[in-house]
Amino acid sequence: MTYAIETEHLRYRVGKAFEISALDLRVPTGSIYGFLGPNGSGKTTTIRLILGLLQPVSGRITVLGRPMPAQYARILRHIGYVPEQPHLDATMTVRELLDFQAAFYAQWDRPRAEELVQRFELDPGRLFGRLSKGQKAKVMILLALAQRGELLVLDEPTDGLDPVVRRDILSALLTYVSERGATILISSHLVHELERVCDWIAVMDNGRLITESPMDKIKHGTKRLVVTGAPAEIGNPPFQLLTRESANGAGEYWVVGNWEPDMTTYVESLGASIRDVIDLDLEEGFVELLRGFRAKERAVRV
Amino acid sequence: MRGMFRAVLYAQWKWSRLIVVLGTVAGFAIPLVSLQGAARPDRGALQAQELLRAVQSWGSVYPLLAAALGLLIAIAAWAADHRGRHIHALTLPLPRWQYVALRFGAGLALLTAPIAAVLIGALLGTVMATLPPGLQAYPIALTLRFALAVFVAYAVFFAVSAGTARTAGIILGAIAVLLLVQVMASVANLEWNLLGALQVVLLQGPGPLAVFTGRWMLIDV
Repeated sequence: MTYAIETEHLRYRVGKAFEISALDLRVPTGSIYGFLGPNGSGKTTTIRLILGLLQPVSGRITVLGRPMPAQYARILRHIGYVPEQPHLDATMTVRELLDFQAAFYAQWDRPRAEELVQRFELDPGRLFGRLSKGQKAKVMILLALAQRGELLVLDEPTDGLDPVVRRDILSALLTYVSERGATILISSHLVHELERVCDWIAVMDNGRLITESPMDKIKHGTKRLVVTGAPAEIGNPPFQLLTRESANGAGEYWVVGNWEPDMTTYVESLGASIRDVIDLDLEEGFVELLRGFRAKERAVRV
Repeated sequence: MRGMFRAVLYAQWKWSRLIVVLGTVAGFAIPLVSLQGAARPDRGALQAQELLRAVQSWGSVYPLLAAALGLLIAIAAWAADHRGRHIHALTLPLPRWQYVALRFGAGLALLTAPIAAVLIGALLGTVMATLPPGLQAYPIALTLRFALAVFVAYAVFFAVSAGTARTAGIILGAIAVLLLVQVMASVANLEWNLLGALQVVLLQGPGPLAVFTGRWMLIDV
């Protein structure tokens, strides 16, 4: 498997309060890679490191096979980026922004840009500063797509937008990926949205990567088990035990990751039995992952 | 690279066109106005002293115009990038020094308009003027000096305004420390004249800002 983005032992520090540490991220080429995490977990900082906007303290970043930030100018030719906040000049019209951007990208796709202006129903003569939030988001996506990048990095591109605009944007992204086989790294709070479009998911909290796995595995491998008769210590299980709590006298609830049906035998070998296996959707799985990670962090600190 | 320069130039023109137009009009008008008396056919040639005084008094306007143009065009060059926290600029696919050079070059290109206006105004004014014997016109020398002053002002303010709030803080902090030391030296009866020394270093030849001082004479002996 080749990777569009790869980070190794990445470390970055913002003052004394926040640190990204030991970040090993691998975004497979051609994937739609969802980047989940609560506010302040380090998603935007990681994205900025990947784009060469920030200099890591240590570690290695490889983007499209080249080292970042050493070769940032070369790499950025092939990346379309949509930041969290619209960063374009409010005094330029949509047409002027398109012309400005076209001058910097040799592979700029003018017909595609025009097609997207029509499809997104944008007025080319309107000032960027006068556009609605949804229209601004569409302009940002349009610019990223018309650059014909091999990699799109989207930092909460649909945050705060209405469902219609969100659907338009996601549909344009999916069309682009199917046509060009591009890779997308998309960070979002909207778990259900990522669930629909992504084939890989990474979850980040407090500057650390909690998990990184194919969507199928995370969707079908995260379960809530109702377990009775489990011993206090269970050694190294073949699944990921995220949380373990009492079920009010009816045994225990275990939230597990990487679960496979044949792992029941392992649980039974501990002298326990499984009364029920409950499927969790991505949002529930995400919440449980965070809970489990934070509980472990607290235990380590104590 | 030419396409990129055109794009940056267009954007900067959009942001600073009012400054450029007003600067160009002023640059054209000042030499003409300064020689207004010399061109009056009913009074004939002015007395040399009177003409020199008039030209000299208008001469102080050139460095002010040069500094104002340099300052405003430099601020306009970075204003949009500062508002967008430089994210757009930093994600463009070119080395950062090239982007800075494009912005700097575009500002310089815009400043050629007021410089050309000074040249045209000065040439026109001196052609129309009736100069008393012993006086000569220096339209090209004045324009070159104006161009140098504009360049120096633009370069200094471009460098300062390109920086972050932290850079501005460091510069202001250095000035504050200098003033504080001067005040404390005065209180302690030390005969230190730091501000005077700084003025000498900056404004007297061959100081970097020396071009702004002295006599700016379109007409001289």
